[in-house]
This record gives sequence, structure tokens and C-alpha cells, in this order.
Amino acid sequence: MATTELTYKRSAISPFFFWVAGLAIMILIGIAGMANVLMNGLQVTGLNDRVPWGLWITQDLSSIGLGAGAFTFSALVYLFRVKRFEPLARAAVFVGFLGYTSAMLALAMDIGRPDRFWHPLVYWNVHSVLWEITWCVILYSTVLALEFLPILFSSNYFSRWPWIRKFGELLHRGAPVMAVIGMGLSMLHQSSLGATYGVLSGRAIWFKPSMPVMFIISAVAGGISLTLLATILTGKLTNRRLISLDLQREIARLAGYVLLGYLYLKIWDWAATSYYSHSPGTASALSRLQATTPYTQTFWWLEIILGGLIPAFILLYPSLRRNDRALMIGLGLIVMAVVVNRWNVTLSGLVVPPEWSPGVLGGVLAASYFPTWTEVAVSIGILGYGLLAFTLGVKYLPIFRRARAHGGD
Amino acid sequence: MKKNKKKKGSPSIIGRRDVLKIAGATGAAVVFTQLVTTGPLSSDAVQGIGRQTHQANASGGQEWHMVIDLSKCIGCHYCLWTCQATNDVPEDDMRWNIGFPETTENGVDFFMTRPCLHCQQAPCVKVCPVGATWVREDGIVAMDYTRCIGCRYCEVACPYDVRRFNWKVSEKENPYQPAWGTSEVERRPRGVVEKCTFCVQRIDRGVAQGLTPGVDPQATPACVNICPVNARVFGDINDEESPLSKYLAEHDTFRLREDFGTEPKVHYVRPEKEA
Repeated sequence: MATTELTYKRSAISPFFFWVAGLAIMILIGIAGMANVLMNGLQVTGLNDRVPWGLWITQDLSSIGLGAGAFTFSALVYLFRVKRFEPLARAAVFVGFLGYTSAMLALAMDIGRPDRFWHPLVYWNVHSVLWEITWCVILYSTVLALEFLPILFSSNYFSRWPWIRKFGELLHRGAPVMAVIGMGLSMLHQSSLGATYGVLSGRAIWFKPSMPVMFIISAVAGGISLTLLATILTGKLTNRRLISLDLQREIARLAGYVLLGYLYLKIWDWAATSYYSHSPGTASALSRLQATTPYTQTFWWLEIILGGLIPAFILLYPSLRRNDRALMIGLGLIVMAVVVNRWNVTLSGLVVPPEWSPGVLGGVLAASYFPTWTEVAVSIGILGYGLLAFTLGVKYLPIFRRARAHGGD
Repeated sequence: MKKNKKKKGSPSIIGRRDVLKIAGATGAAVVFTQLVTTGPLSSDAVQGIGRQTHQANASGGQEWHMVIDLSKCIGCHYCLWTCQATNDVPEDDMRWNIGFPETTENGVDFFMTRPCLHCQQAPCVKVCPVGATWVREDGIVAMDYTRCIGCRYCEVACPYDVRRFNWKVSEKENPYQPAWGTSEVERRPRGVVEKCTFCVQRIDRGVAQGLTPGVDPQATPACVNICPVNARVFGDINDEESPLSKYLAEHDTFRLREDFGTEPKVHYVRPEKEA
């Protein structure tokens, strides 16, 4: 058992082929989109000077947020020594690694000069939250790669080179150290991504100290949920039970509690800034938002109710949590809510720009945004990369196998 | 593994190692606090970030400001066009200096124009991850097009819609040349952000030649020179004799959204006289 790869049932080969072929097509679509961007520049996007960030930034923020399972499980297992969570640690690191690489792909497309991606490393502006994020994301991706390499090296393929395997085992011994570094880096940049918006004093909707906190807590809830969802789904498709039911339910409950904590803060975030108080800038921006965009609706219905209260109920109500199908729906809704939240946060601040004209007409050009096919194509391609890498990883790498090099139990 | 188990079992008494750890952590906290409250990492030092790496401009204590008198402006668009010609901005939607018809609360029509406000506490400067934009000694918010990575965070941070991103390189001939001026700067490459510079090329050359920006046309921003009704006034706010200082002393002025705390260097005179 310990040395066999996951095998697919004979009857499942054909759907598997179609699945991989579909993902390959997604990647091809993405490559076409990327080529268009690199050749013609960002004029092929729906972005403009009023709304300079859109779909790709949403994808970038979501991928990093949903990759937060990696630092959460690494910290739980290797730092706080909650050993019973170990069967999920590898999957979490793998999902995180794919999330961060996806984010970097999206960012490489989004910046106007991809050839200068290294500038933040050489030219420092320590006062920029984005500078800190760039450093953290690069360093943390390195940590994830170092955490992922032992998994790669322990696959059968590398058994012909024992020294590589030894090296992998050596790396894995450093897991607790990397968990500490990873947790530190994640606590910095997962929150700084929210601070990216939270520090902008000129944008009333964004400018509040809760932003960084909301980002990291939603990332922890989303990261745990995606890791667990991917695990359950893989188990169903391969007809294997990858983790014990007890563990599955315990993690689901954990995600539920984190989500509940998030909702508590979220409600106060809303109430304190827009219900019990009246700050002119915020009130004006929110009323314009309600009048001209669907984002007030998507906030309440998709973020709070469908992606918050309902999954919290599913995950915390024992008989629903025990139903695999309901549980998967609940986890999927949380993942959806993280993506919707990142889109809502990004777009809502941009589409209602501050009014600075001394007159009553405003004069500020209408800000609107809709992604073009190129943007959608690139996003599909990056998503395809993540899904294909996960599929192949689960098939060929010992992602869901007990660690031999470590544990020893 | 074994070591850890052993440690787990031992009673938790504060030993020499723990004392050292606590002392180290305290020391690190003190150093960190010092770093972020004073010195180059402090919040106040933000304007210096770009300066450290860029050649200091020859500022003799001057600080350039502008006044736009909305009660004088006749809405002729000349300042918009000459800006486009001088700084080679062929596309109208890329204007550094924008203008549009406006109405006051009392129903008085006026023409609102807005160059970059060159905020002393510029949000765009603070957020740039590579220090490609900075507040110069003389107050001008400058850009380094060779360093910009095109992330557009400065566009997101600017509350005044000042910055423009080169979504493409315009191949178009500049329709405002030569009628409204000739290019004094190179057209920017695709993928970087640009903005109004207060015609910094004129100021730097003029100051080096001993001219006075705001008085000598060769050293004054193009939009100020072209105005047929002298609705724009430019000069050194630290020089009491500058036309700008005199204008500010004689008129009630305001700045756009002072509540943002950005401290803009463009001052406006209300379109209607006080009733």
C-alpha cells in the first residue's frame, strides 16, 4: 500500500482521458490569449485608467488566498504537532504550490512590463505594501517548492537515484523550520494583500484597517476548504478513501469555525463602517455602488448568505457534515465566496472613484469594466494549468500517501 | 523527533536559553520599532525613497506650486492641447491635463481643468513597489519610465485620476503639433505609467540657466504660458516675490479634497466670487 500509486479503475480511463484532453484545450486557449497579450500589450484587455485592475488581479488574489491551506496545515502539523492532520499536509502544500504559481502566471500577464518582473527585488521601496507582497510571495513560493520537492523525490520515478531521494528526505526533515518561515511569510502577505486596498486613504470604500484581517481569515477558511474539497473529490473519482471519515469531519468543522469567526468580523466590519456610522466618503461611494452596480447584491447574496451562512451551517451541523455530498457543496460554496469576495473588493473600490471636482457634475469619467475574451482565455489557461498539474500530481506523485521519510510510525 | 519528545516531557522552567531568547526578541522588537518610527524606514521618509537612487535636482530650496483661477478660465482648451503637443500625448484619452465643463452648486457654469496636483504626501509615491516615482526636493512628483513595471498600483492609489497607463504605443501622429507646440520629451514605451510633470524639462533647464520658472516662459510649464487669460499662475511658494506667492496672498484658494491628506501643490480659485 505504501509504495503503490493511486490506480484508476479500468472503466474510469476513458473519462480521465477526456478530462485531461479538456484541460489541455484550456491551456491551449490560455497560450493563445497570452500570446495576444505579449504581442499587443494590455490594450487587448477591458481594463482602462479608471479600472486598471480586473479579472487577473481577482484570479491572482483568489489563487493566493485559496493556497492558504498550505501554511495552515504546515503550521498545524509541523509546528503545533497536530499529527492527525498530517495525511492532508502534502495535499495542502501541493494545492498551495499550484495556487502560488498560478498567481505568478496571472501577475506576469497583468504587469505592463513582464520583462521587469525582477525590479522589486533590486529597487526597494519599503513603504510600498506591494513591495512587501512581492518579496513575501517570491520567498514563500520558494518555501512551497522546498516543501513540495520531497514529495516529488519520493515518487517511484526517483527511486533509481537514491541520492536524490536522500536529499528529499533531508529537506523533509527541515519541514518544521519551513513551516515556521512559511507561516511568518503567509501571515505577512496574506494580510498585506488586503492592505493593498486598505491603506489607500483616497478610496473610501477600501480605506479601513479591517481589510488585512478579513483577507487572511477568509484565506484560511478558503484554503482549508479547497484542500479538503480536492481531497474528497479525488477520493470519490478514484474510489478510494484518502483520509479517514473522522479526520474529514474534523477538518470540515475546523473550516466551519474559521468561517463563523470570519462572518462575525465581517458583520461588524459592515455595521461599524456603513450602518451605525455615517462617513461622507463611504456613504456616497456605497450609495453610488448600490445605484449603478450589482456589487451590493453580490455582497449580500453570494458572499454573506450563499458563501457564508449556508456553508457555515452545513459544516457545523453534524448530520449535514456527515453527508459527503452536502459537505462538498458547502466547501465549494466557500471557495466560490472567496473568489467573489476578491472580485467584489477589487471592483467596488474602482468603479466608484472618489469625487474630487469642486462642481456638482462630478466630471469624473464613468468607470466600468468588462473582461475581454483575451482576459478570459488567459484565466482559463491558468486554471487549466492548475487543474492539470493537480490531476497529474495526484496520479503520479505520492500526494495522498503517508510520508515514509518522516513519521516512522 | 527524539529531542522534541524529550523537550515536551521536561518541566517548563525558564532557563538561561529562554532568558537569552526573550532578551533577543526584546532587542529585535526595539530595533524594529526604532527602524519604522525614525530613519529611512519611517513613514515620514517616504519622499526620500526615489531620491536616494536618482540624481538630486538642483533645488535651491524652491518648491513649485500652481494656481488655477476658475473664475478667469474661459474653457478654451488651449492648455490641454499645448500639454499634449509639448509632452507628446497624441491620444485625447491619455491627457495629462484634463478639462471638462462643470457647474457649481449655485448653478454657475465653469470649466474645470486638472493637471497632476503633485501632492507632497502623494499616495502614488508611497505604493510604488519599485520606487519608480518620487517627490523631488522641489516638490515635483517625478517618474522613472525605465524602472516602472506597469503594475498600475499608482493609478489605483491616486484619488484624482491623474495617472495614465500606456495600454499601447500610439502610432498616431500628434494632431496638436506643430500648431500648439513641439515635443520636448520622448514618447513613452508601452506598458509603463505616465503623468503630468509640471514640464520638468523646462524647469530643470531653466533653473540651470538662471531663469525663474513662473516668470521666464522658457522655464514655465506650457499650460501656464499658453493661457490667454492668465488663469494659471506658476512659481516658487518659498519666494514671497514670485507671481504665485503674490496670487495666493491676494486670493482665496482651495485644494482638491484636502480631507485626503495628500497636500496637493495645485491651488484653485473658486469659479464664482463670494456672495
